[in-house]
Amino acid sequence: MRGTFSKILGKYALLATLIISYLFLYLPILHIGLGSFARNHTFPYPPRWTLDTFGRLFANSLYQTAFFNSLVLGLGAAALATLLAAAATLGLMRHAGRRAGLYLTLFVAPLFVAEVLIGIASLIFNGLVLELQGNLVSAILANAVHCFSYALLIMATQLYRYDWRLDDAAMVFGASPARTFFEVTLPLIWPGLLGAFVVTFIMAFNNLEISFYLLGATPTLPSVAWGALRYGVKPELYALATAVNLVVILGLGLMFVLMLTGTATFGHRPERERAV
Amino acid sequence: MKGRWAGRALLGVPTAFLLGLFVLPLLSMVVLSFWRTENYHIVQDWNLGNYITLATGGAYVTFLIRSLVMASAVSLVCILIAWPVSYSIILYGGRYRLLLTLAFAVPFLTGEVLRVIALQGLLGPLGLINAMLMALGNAPLRFIMYTNVASAIGLIYLYLPIVVTVIYLSLLNFDARLIDAAKIFGASPLRAFVEVTWPLNLFGTLIGFALCFIPCLSATLAPRFLGGPNGTLYGMAMAQQFGESGTWALGAAMGVVLFLTSLIAVLLVGMRVNLRRTGFTGFGRG
Repeated sequence: MRGTFSKILGKYALLATLIISYLFLYLPILHIGLGSFARNHTFPYPPRWTLDTFGRLFANSLYQTAFFNSLVLGLGAAALATLLAAAATLGLMRHAGRRAGLYLTLFVAPLFVAEVLIGIASLIFNGLVLELQGNLVSAILANAVHCFSYALLIMATQLYRYDWRLDDAAMVFGASPARTFFEVTLPLIWPGLLGAFVVTFIMAFNNLEISFYLLGATPTLPSVAWGALRYGVKPELYALATAVNLVVILGLGLMFVLMLTGTATFGHRPERERAV
Repeated sequence: MKGRWAGRALLGVPTAFLLGLFVLPLLSMVVLSFWRTENYHIVQDWNLGNYITLATGGAYVTFLIRSLVMASAVSLVCILIAWPVSYSIILYGGRYRLLLTLAFAVPFLTGEVLRVIALQGLLGPLGLINAMLMALGNAPLRFIMYTNVASAIGLIYLYLPIVVTVIYLSLLNFDARLIDAAKIFGASPLRAFVEVTWPLNLFGTLIGFALCFIPCLSATLAPRFLGGPNGTLYGMAMAQQFGESGTWALGAAMGVVLFLTSLIAVLLVGMRVNLRRTGFTGFGRG
């Protein structure tokens, strides 16, 4: 009797922690989301609905330029990081041999260096050695360093169970390495590539701590938001955060639907799941 | 022969990329930390002045100690929350496991500035908690407005998602049949947890700890916008050297201190892990 009682207690304690954590994470987001659609934005209970804030946000030319720059930054860094990480993952699994540990240490090292340090170190390197002013390309490159490690981890979880005998089989039947890659490997690993691209794009798009030191006078959404935040929170910032949150939720929702319907697996292998 | 060239290119290009854009910048930061800045100009004059300033200027030592305490406390709290959360997702998540973990990733991916804005909406003088208290006729809570507690709550908010994700992945790859085996042989649930589940997931937990501790140690945004006058952390002071005060060399020295401190923390944590005991079997299909 006592056993079942403590079991039920444990279950409810676990579930309560889970629910409280979600509340903690999402209450601020919901609060400012509601605030950005309301005239009484600081305490929108009950809200008086309006779309003025979003209208002002989208009409502001600074935010438009910043959005475009962030888009370029995100796409550039994500494309570079995904390509390099794909090469690194394939290389690690197929060609590294005994040095795999060494390469892996180098490849995941950026995860263990704070973003702000990557930003500052790149600023010093650009300023002292290359004598470059702040520009978008340096920011793309520095973001790609940080995104590379995340992309590598995402792809490694996907490729961990990849069956290399398929490649060998294609080669045995006379396919060139290039043809094997495009007709066998790529079709099987694209969900990992796409997953890594989406995640690193979102990360670079929203990054401030690296980009801030390298952008010079180029505005991006996070840097404009940072500039505005120094003068206090404005309803436009609520609207901006809400818009970005909605896009991220849509993006991850799309990934989830793809996984649910089995179109793509993104490193998630249902057959690996076990009942606890 | 061809295969070997392909292998070299696949590993060589990313290695060159990281050496050029990650290792070299860090090295140039180390070099700069031994120079000095005078009136916004960098003087190539080898000296230890920056480090002497950092070691003897009382404020910098205070900032470092405060940062260390803050980062350790935040990482511990994050792990204490993340364990039951990821465990219950694994246990009760069923087919919605993935959705539940992705839901944790959403706030992580929306960028620090936007999350700090959301946090100000929660904790600030006009934020949700205080506005609610005042609407109910109570006095606002002072300890969550521009204090170290607010910074800590902010950092937990910022880095809880990554700790949950890491521990979740660790638990997902953990063979739960081992628990059943332990129980069949008469272990109580508590003992099975302490002797099987915990040690086998220790590696994941420590990675989660490191991935929370390192960014917290160098946090710049949360203390700036959520912390108060007594809330300056080391990373924030470092960022100021590259902005308002223009003393790059001192900032570089602070960067080196932060880098070394994180490295020591990772090594200390790493030494406690016996990879084989945690069930790590190597990378790839050896």
